[in-house]
Amino acid sequence: MLSSIVQGLLIGSIYGFVALSLTLIFGILKIINFSHGQLFMIGMFVAYFICTALGISPYIGLFLAAIIMFILGYFIQDKLIKPVLKKESGVREPISALLLTAGLGIVFENLMLVIFGSNYRTLSQASVDTVKISDVILPLPQVYAFLIALVCMAAFYLFLKKTELGRIIRAVGQDRRTAYLMGINVERTFAICYGLGCASLGIAGALILPFYYLHPSVGNVFGNIAFITVVLGGLGSMPGAIIGGLLLGVAQSVASIYVPNTLSLTIVFYLFLVFVFIRPRGLMGSKHEW
Amino acid sequence: LIKIKGINSLKIRNKISLFLLLAAVLIILPFTIENQYFVHILIMVFFYAFCASAWNIISGFAGQLSFGHAAFLAIGAYSSGLLFNYLNLSPWVGMLVGGVIAAGVAVLIGIPAFRLRGAYYAISTIAFSEGFRIILETVKKVGNWDFGAAEGIMIKPIGGDSFAAIQFTSKIPYYFIILVMLILVILIAMWIERSKLGYYLSAVKEDQEAALALGIDAHKMKLIAAGISAFLTALGGAFYIQLIRYIEPASIAGSPMSDQLVFFCVVGGIGTVGGPVFGAILLTIIGELARVYFSSLPGLHLVIYGVIVVIVILFSPHGMLEPVRKRTMLIIRKLFVRSER
Repeated sequence: MLSSIVQGLLIGSIYGFVALSLTLIFGILKIINFSHGQLFMIGMFVAYFICTALGISPYIGLFLAAIIMFILGYFIQDKLIKPVLKKESGVREPISALLLTAGLGIVFENLMLVIFGSNYRTLSQASVDTVKISDVILPLPQVYAFLIALVCMAAFYLFLKKTELGRIIRAVGQDRRTAYLMGINVERTFAICYGLGCASLGIAGALILPFYYLHPSVGNVFGNIAFITVVLGGLGSMPGAIIGGLLLGVAQSVASIYVPNTLSLTIVFYLFLVFVFIRPRGLMGSKHEW
Repeated sequence: LIKIKGINSLKIRNKISLFLLLAAVLIILPFTIENQYFVHILIMVFFYAFCASAWNIISGFAGQLSFGHAAFLAIGAYSSGLLFNYLNLSPWVGMLVGGVIAAGVAVLIGIPAFRLRGAYYAISTIAFSEGFRIILETVKKVGNWDFGAAEGIMIKPIGGDSFAAIQFTSKIPYYFIILVMLILVILIAMWIERSKLGYYLSAVKEDQEAALALGIDAHKMKLIAAGISAFLTALGGAFYIQLIRYIEPASIAGSPMSDQLVFFCVVGGIGTVGGPVFGAILLTIIGELARVYFSSLPGLHLVIYGVIVVIVILFSPHGMLEPVRKRTMLIIRKLFVRSER
């Protein structure tokens, strides 16, 4: 029981990290990025090819993966989402932009399937080092992933709170029109945010590679978990996304003690639906409706 | 000077004759095609048009996107299939049972999700349908009812033709059944569009605050739309299992199925009566061509769907039906004008 809770926390940190980047994009652009899971999958592929081509450890490769994913995200926002947002600037709920991201997600997933086929790839080593803390034995790659994810999330928080660019991003998130009047380049901020979200996915992808399989459809699982995590935590709440992610990880891990492994995801999804039924605004969501 | 007008200004007589012509073509069409494969494609086109039209009721008219309609298809298919296999219940009854279950589920999901706006409903539908697919892929038996887990279920064959069991040796009866179903769903959509419910829904979609201020019960309207939409989708699922005689959870309950329905409507024109039908016709034919000519690349048709969706959203956000219709009317008008001279 204890070991599965710890295991859940470890994978939950990745869920939280992925959900955090989704929250960033949602908080600023007010769009749920429905291609988030597929971008995470692309982040994994990018990290995979960096590591195999250059023969470096994923913990070094993640820097390069982050840069490549940032550029990709910047261009997706700048070339595809921006024109759609412009057309819908007066609409409160930008439904076209949301559908656009969903369409992009399908393209990404199936394009990767067409190009790379449906083989499963792994970067895992033959023998995995473990670390023993009291009674719980933990595989080291997962511990690294947990720690680095925590560091990244902390860095993210400091970046948003303390730097000039972070202040600009928060200003745009709070009120884009006022920010525009203050002389902020709103569109560039959007693109940077989307890029930062994707860069986080590159890092998360690199972190998970040593202990997870790689397949074009892997994004579905992580995307769906990220969606319910942000709602569970409260849409737009960054601490909510992190806590929600950890909670989901633990729930899934504990559930898999009692039911077959595949069903644990169903338990998580349905617990989520019950939770939303009771408390629609999520753990830390504000009463303010998005 | 000759003014060019839209289809609405065509004389009513012309409209009726156009409609009769279309009806005659649709009735004669399956008998003129010798290759059963092409009849099957026509059936699939109508089937997708039916499901997309059903999806459109909640997501187009009410503006609440569902990315999980495959779950309702699966509920319809499994209900009617299992009830027929184990209780010998006619699929006509089974499909209604499935429809009621699906409508109930949709309302349950909607109760919390519709209280909030935005993507809540979309995310809830994803959570429900993905969870449901996993259940279908895992559960092998309930009592002595075989759910087949990932292998899915098969309809017990009765051999020969039976209207009550919806089993026919020829494809043509299926063609007419789905054609009638499609016409019915189009009539329902037209009725909703012109009814009070339709006006309420579009008011809620455009500006919920204003609608609430006018005393419209937005929550209830969305729940009604969600129920109707899920009910109809389940009927589609029950038809599908009778047509194919076999279903597996991955294909009927998976997210590619849900996404396809979304894409048909986006490409045709979301929130319009004709859009989903047009989008389904266009994309299904393109997808089928991709499957025939590039059979070595599975998933390619989804890439093509996705690219078309992205292009349509970028360049014609209200769908392709309206621009295409305007162009055709222009051409027809020009032809008429010339011949009258």
